[in-house]
Amino acid sequence: MTAQPDRFTADQRKALSTMADVMLPETLMMPSASMVDVHGGGVDHVMMARPDLFADLQRAIDALDPLQFDLEALGALLVADEAAYTALTTAVAAAYYQSPTVRERIGYPGQVAKTYDPYAYVDWVNEGLLDPVVERGPLWRRPPGSPDQEVTP
Amino acid sequence: MSEHEHADVVLVGAGASGGVVARHLAEAGFSVVCLEQGEWPDRDDFRGTEDDWELAIRQRWALSPNIRGMASDYPVNDDDSDINPLMFNAVGGSMIIYAGTWPRMLPSDFRVRTMDGVADDWPIDYFDVAPFYDEIDRQIGVSGLAGDPAYPPHTDYPLPPLPLGIAGKRVAQAHNELGWHWWPEPNAILSAPYDGRHACVQRGVCTSGCAEGAKASTDLTHWPKAIAAGARLVTGARVNRITTNAQGLATGATWIDRDGAEHHQTGDTVILAANAIGTARLLLLSADDHHPTGLANSSGLVGKRLMMHPFAAVTGWFDDSVEGWQGQFGASITTYEFYETDRSRGFVRGAKWALSPVGGPLNHVLPMRAGSEVWGAKHHDLMARTFGKGATWAIFGEDLPEETNRVDLDPDLCDADGIPAPRVHYRTSENSKRLMEFQVARAEESLRAAGAIDVTAANLLRYSGWHLMGTARMGDDPATSVVDRNQRAHDVANLYIVDGSVFVTSSGVNPTNTITALALRTAAHLVENRRLQEVPV
Repeated sequence: MTAQPDRFTADQRKALSTMADVMLPETLMMPSASMVDVHGGGVDHVMMARPDLFADLQRAIDALDPLQFDLEALGALLVADEAAYTALTTAVAAAYYQSPTVRERIGYPGQVAKTYDPYAYVDWVNEGLLDPVVERGPLWRRPPGSPDQEVTP
Repeated sequence: MSEHEHADVVLVGAGASGGVVARHLAEAGFSVVCLEQGEWPDRDDFRGTEDDWELAIRQRWALSPNIRGMASDYPVNDDDSDINPLMFNAVGGSMIIYAGTWPRMLPSDFRVRTMDGVADDWPIDYFDVAPFYDEIDRQIGVSGLAGDPAYPPHTDYPLPPLPLGIAGKRVAQAHNELGWHWWPEPNAILSAPYDGRHACVQRGVCTSGCAEGAKASTDLTHWPKAIAAGARLVTGARVNRITTNAQGLATGATWIDRDGAEHHQTGDTVILAANAIGTARLLLLSADDHHPTGLANSSGLVGKRLMMHPFAAVTGWFDDSVEGWQGQFGASITTYEFYETDRSRGFVRGAKWALSPVGGPLNHVLPMRAGSEVWGAKHHDLMARTFGKGATWAIFGEDLPEETNRVDLDPDLCDADGIPAPRVHYRTSENSKRLMEFQVARAEESLRAAGAIDVTAANLLRYSGWHLMGTARMGDDPATSVVDRNQRAHDVANLYIVDGSVFVTSSGVNPTNTITALALRTAAHLVENRRLQEVPV
C-alpha cells in the first residue's frame, strides 16, 4: 500500500487546518499548526511514512465539524472512534514536530550523531564519583555452598 | 515435501542464542543448518536516522508482532494477558529491537528457594555460568566498568563504559548523597570501534534498530563468523514441527517457505532457539500419537511458568535540559539498591533499575506518557516543561514463576501459513504488584534527590513483554522440568533448548546476557560430548 496524499480534498485540508489549530494554537513562543503547514506538506509527509493511518484520518476529518470543533469534540472522538482519534492526534503532532521551525523553537535537532571521548570516564572515576559506592563494600548475597574465592580469569 | 542434505545440527531460530550456538558449533566442525522465519535485517531500512522515526516505531518498527504484522511475524493472542509479549523475527532476532543493556544475573538469582523460600533453585549456579559470561562479553563487545560491588568480582569488560550523560551524572551524585548503590550500566553497545564495528553515536534509537551497528545483535556479531565457518542459514523458513522417530529421537524439522512449499530438514541433533513463546509453540505443535501433549512434555510443563518481568517507567523532569532525547537506550547508570530480598518491605525479591533517555517529541505528547489531555494552549506548556528535561528509571521487577501463566495454542487464530498461533495467559502476581509499587516510590525519591521538579510514573505497563522466559524450565528431575542442566530435553536425548524458555526463575535483570551465556555453555557441552551424543540412525 502506498500513500496517496492527493486524496485529501481541499475541504478536508481546510477542515484539518482549522482543527489542528485548535489542538496546537499559536502562542508567544510557538507557531500554530497551520503556520507550519501541518494540513499541507506536513500531513502529506506523515502519510508517506504511515499510509496505514490514511483511512482512519479521513474518517476523523469527515466525522468532525471544523466550525464546531473544540477540545470537547476531540475528547468525544476518543470515546466514539479511538482509531480515528489516534490517527488525527498522531498525524497532527507528527506533522507539527517534523517542522524545522518547530524543532528549532523547542531546541530539538533530531536524533543526531554525537561524538565523545570513550575514555572520559577516567576523569569522573579519578574525581571520586564512584568512591562512596565502592566504600560500602559488596552488595551481593553469597548463596550457601558458593566458592569462597572467586577466581578472576 | 522437499528433503534437504542431512546436517549434524538443525537449529531453529537465528536470534541471540541461535547465533551464539551456530558460531560455536560451526567453528568446532559441526555442519549446522539454521531455519529462521525472518530475513536479514536491512540497515538501510532502519528509521533512526530519519525524521519520521517516531512514526515508524508506532507501526513498522513497533515492538509487538501484532502491530507490525510483517510477513516474518506470527500473531500472538495476548487478550488474556496483563503484558503484551514483544519480539522481532529476523536474523539477530529480538536483539534488533532490544535496548542492549547487558547485566548478568546475580548469585542469589540462581538460589531463590534456598535463600528466599520461594519458587525453585536452578540446578546450576552463578559460578557455573561466570566463565561463559566472560566469553560472551568478549564476543559481543560489551562496554562497562568492572568492580561493581553488586556482583562478585569478574573480568573487566572489553570496552570502556558509555557516557553517563547529564542525567546519569546527576542521579549518580544523588545516590551518593542518599547512600544508595549505582554503577555505570554495562551495555552491549560499543563505546569504541571493536571487531570491525563502529562505535555508538548516542542517537538514542536503539530499540528500533541501530543503523550504526554499534549495538550488538548476532546478525553482526555471530552469523558472519558462523557462515564463514560453514553454517547454512535459511531465511523465510517457518518451522511447524519437530519430527521424531520410533526410538523417540528427534530427526529434524519440517518448515514452510514464503511460497507455501513444505520442506524437511534432517539432522543428528535439533536445537530450539525460538524464544520462550515460539519454542513452547513449536513443542506443542509437534504433538503426535507418541507425544500427545506435545514433544518433550512428559512433565506437563511445556508452555507453563511464563515470566515476562513487570515493568515501570518513572521519569524525573528537571528545570533545565538534560538532552533527554539523546544517549544510549541502553542505559547510562543502573542500581541494585533494592534488588535483594528484604521481607520487611512486604514482598520477596526485587528489581533492577536502568536510567534511560525519554525519546523524541511524540513520546512526550502522545499516549502513553501524556494521556489525552494535552491539546490546546496547554500542549505548549507541557512541552516547555518536559521536552529534553527528562530521564527515566526503567524498572524490571523479578517475576516469580506460576504454572497458570502460560502459553498454549490458540484454537482459532493462525499465522499466514495456517499454523496455530500461540495464546498467552498471564496475570501479574500480588508479589509483583507490591514489589513494583515499592520500587516506583523509591525511584521517585531518587529522581527528586537528583533535582527533579516533577516525577511521573507509569507502572505495570502493558506493552513491556521484552523478556520472555520459563516455558521449558531447566532442572534435574524429569518430573518437574523440561530440560536438564545442559539444556537437553529429558524426554528426547538429541533435542536441546537454548533460549529463555529454560529459565527456572526470571531474576530481575534483562535476560539476553544470560540467555547467550547459557547457549554458549550448551554449545560447549555439545562439542565436549559429541562422541557420546545419541543420534537417530
